[in-house]
Amino acid sequence: MADKRESARQKTAEQKRVLDDVSRRRRQRKVLEALEFDNFSEDPHADLKMSKKAPKFEEAMDVNGPSSKKRRKSRGDFKQRYRKTFAALLEEEYLSSQQMVNREGVTYFSASAPPSPLPERHFCAVCGFSSNYTCVQCGARFCCIRCLGTHQDTRCLKWTA
Amino acid sequence: MATLVLDNGAGTAKVGYSTDKEPRIIPNCVMKAKNVRTRIFVGDQLEECKDLSSLFYLLPFQKGYLVNWDIERQVWDHMFGKDRYRVEFSDTNLIITEPFFNFQSIQEAMTEVLFEEYQFKALYRCNAPELSQYRYKYRYMESPLCTLVIDSGYSFTHIVPYCKGKKLRDAVTRINVGGKLLTNHLKEIISYRQLMVMDETCVVNQMKEDVCYVSSHFSQDMELARKKGPENTILREYVLPDFSHISRGYVRQKDDTTERKGEEQLIRMNNERFAVPELLFHPADVGIQEMGIPEAVIHVLSKLDEEMRPHLLNNIVLTGGNCHLPGFQDRLYRDIRSLASDEYDVNIFLPPNPITYAWEGGCLLAQDPDFENLVLTRQDYEEQGLSYALEKFDVW
Ligand SMILES: [Zn+2]
Ligand SMILES: [Zn+2]
Repeated sequence: MADKRESARQKTAEQKRVLDDVSRRRRQRKVLEALEFDNFSEDPHADLKMSKKAPKFEEAMDVNGPSSKKRRKSRGDFKQRYRKTFAALLEEEYLSSQQMVNREGVTYFSASAPPSPLPERHFCAVCGFSSNYTCVQCGARFCCIRCLGTHQDTRCLKWTA
Repeated sequence: MATLVLDNGAGTAKVGYSTDKEPRIIPNCVMKAKNVRTRIFVGDQLEECKDLSSLFYLLPFQKGYLVNWDIERQVWDHMFGKDRYRVEFSDTNLIITEPFFNFQSIQEAMTEVLFEEYQFKALYRCNAPELSQYRYKYRYMESPLCTLVIDSGYSFTHIVPYCKGKKLRDAVTRINVGGKLLTNHLKEIISYRQLMVMDETCVVNQMKEDVCYVSSHFSQDMELARKKGPENTILREYVLPDFSHISRGYVRQKDDTTERKGEEQLIRMNNERFAVPELLFHPADVGIQEMGIPEAVIHVLSKLDEEMRPHLLNNIVLTGGNCHLPGFQDRLYRDIRSLASDEYDVNIFLPPNPITYAWEGGCLLAQDPDFENLVLTRQDYEEQGLSYALEKFDVW
């Protein structure tokens, strides 16, 4: 009985450690995604109806005289065909790159710079200087006891930028 | 007949007539100010905004590619309209830039919008570095055989070799580090270490431009930054704007002993000054598993015939906003010099304005006697259709 409980406890501890690893990687991925964000907070005017004030495309064009009458095709049609997120475009590009061996090799994907063979460097999250240690809880880097203290006091596991 | 040149960057659009002395640099976005709730700001209307705190950005580009046409139309309407360039579409050619590997459906949308909605007379689509190398060649009586353009902009950095004016597509290489990422990274480390500035993209971007630099002696500068007092020649104190007394951030002078008046907020910029731009040289510092620019230059050369390499190394051109960072050219020279074979000369040209260099090239191209044969007219487009229009240009 006691044995069983002991091994169960070990098991959960192990699971925790594994989970930690996964969530650390997820954290790292989130950090990279955050570096691409356009904004941190929500639209400050979200509660306003701005659309009435912003001139519509059609109205703006009509100012430019009779040539605008020649405009064809409805906007709705355009929207349907071209409203694609970057992820959707990538997906499309990936699928077509699979089929197009004849396009002389290079694609959006293959144009990416390869990984550097140089050794990785690590910097303290608190002070920015070279770091040799990793926080056991969250995986953040620190360089000394003082910085670890600052990190643990206020930032460890709370900061999820 | 006029030709409008539009280097349509993801951060800023550089736009003007081919006969203009210089372009306008227009933020390619729509912005909302937290404390100005009665209006929005389209592109360079931002100049009318007195309070740049907590700006909210609506960007047409994502990861360097044009995905939000509603926003882009708002910016273009403003740019082409009565407050700016007053474009007579039916009598105007347009030279416009697109990113490398631009997705087919974006190219289609671009062509359709410009011909059917704006009704330009004729169109020339190209990559910005094509115009830069055109501009570069123009400096010489006898144009150089090859040019290696390093274009480091808002979304990413491209290294692009040209030979006799033609892009060597198979060697084009992208590093996913640009000015936006640098600013966002700076926002994060300041917010972590000192003061919450995650909503202050505009203010922090200005701070980056004011105090960041590229170090040519990274570990040496790290050691200097550790020192206390006057021995630390790296540290700067940056006064944040409050948009009532202080309308723009600035570096506090070391000998400024005047009493700090009340509430002003200081940011200590120490190793942050050079550790942030360092990401262009070591993307792995922030976990992006890619080569930095100097290594990537050597990687590009390794994909090309050996006889081209000396010509490329001898004609490196820097464009894009990140090249404005102090020390960028020196560091690049040092690193490339130490990585490249001793038998080759390395020559790096930093234009007086690396941001507008491609635009300048577009203006020259518009005056090329051959230009009218290079464009696609709206008539061609209407008669021959969309796929013909796409094949005419090599922006892929
Ligand atoms: Zn530290
Ligand atoms: Zn921690």
